[in-house]
Amino acid sequence: MSSVEREGKEIRSLTHKNEKCVGCGICSDVCPTTAIKMGPLLPIARGLVKMDYLTINKNDCCLCGLCASSCPFDALELDINGINTKKMDNYPLWTHDASIDSETCIYCGRCSTACPTDAIFLQRSLPDVKELVRGETEVDQDKCIQCGVCEEMCPAEAITMDRNDINSSNPSIASSVDIDESKCIYCGICRRACPVDAIKIVCTTCMERDEIVNPEIKGDIILDEDTCIKCGWCQEVCPVDAAEVTKPFEGEIFLRDDFTCKGDSCHACADVCPCNAISIVEGKSVINPIFCILCGACTKACPQQGIILKRKNMNLENVKSKAWTNRLADLLED
Amino acid sequence: MVVIIDKEKCGGIADCPGEGLCIKLCEQGAIKEVDSEPVLVPENCDDCDLCIQNCPNQAISKG
Repeated sequence: MSSVEREGKEIRSLTHKNEKCVGCGICSDVCPTTAIKMGPLLPIARGLVKMDYLTINKNDCCLCGLCASSCPFDALELDINGINTKKMDNYPLWTHDASIDSETCIYCGRCSTACPTDAIFLQRSLPDVKELVRGETEVDQDKCIQCGVCEEMCPAEAITMDRNDINSSNPSIASSVDIDESKCIYCGICRRACPVDAIKIVCTTCMERDEIVNPEIKGDIILDEDTCIKCGWCQEVCPVDAAEVTKPFEGEIFLRDDFTCKGDSCHACADVCPCNAISIVEGKSVINPIFCILCGACTKACPQQGIILKRKNMNLENVKSKAWTNRLADLLED
Repeated sequence: MVVIIDKEKCGGIADCPGEGLCIKLCEQGAIKEVDSEPVLVPENCDDCDLCIQNCPNQAISKG
């Protein structure tokens, strides 16, 4: 006679973070117990109803964690005895990724402006004006009639007229007119505008035809892993190839041939797309695959099922269970 | 094919979980509120089917 015994206590908790969720429904598609019910995607995305993208039926959920492992947005997390399964060796791991090489980055800010989830933070220090333009200025205080025209017209706000309190014992309007050379850009507006020709100004940078040396723009660029959805916008708009993105899925997405898209009236696909990959052009939905991550939210929001999604591969590694492999294969094209 | 709103299934805007979601979703103004009920304005309808897909009571169809 032989026997095997095991005793222990395991606490599992599944958490849904709605702020990271895009409502794509991948979790619901893979759930083996149909415990995840998706809410009305478009009304939620448009802010017409206030509810979470999904609800998990506590009685049906078996806390297996397949939903958490397959969510490309980390919107679901399964903790076992307080440890996130994404940190465990025997659970799957997404290899989708986005990074910006700060050595190559020129801090132009294009990625930060384009990022649909505001995941990129840029701080930069611009060169001093003095590094870009040099010159000389002189105000002939004897000729100057203190009219203030130069002060009013200076585009660099470099000229100040030191006004006096007018009184009968000191009838002068101002004690002096000064040009602040740390602000002056030597454009010559003041010289041309002065009605009495009291200002001399030369731009030595222009006169000598200085060779322009671009001073280095220093900065910091931070990509927030937490909010980044690996959509590829940064990679596409970066002029120096400093951004690199690996998306969660590979495959294709297109409109059904016989589908009459009512994009102007509907635009549900564009409203739910987390990647800003869809625009309505001449009344029809146009999906730009460069920015699409194949999450499938648009296919579910389209009221006429006009969008065809064919995922060929998912960048999820270390799937050890055969049952999970089979279940995840349902996300891919046969 | 014209959009049909089933009054019985609909139950009126006051009891709608989306508080008249079909009216809010339709940007063509093809559904308007008349006596607390959604009513179709056929000439404005663009046949996009948004209302059909999103009605929380499945009260809208085409026939």
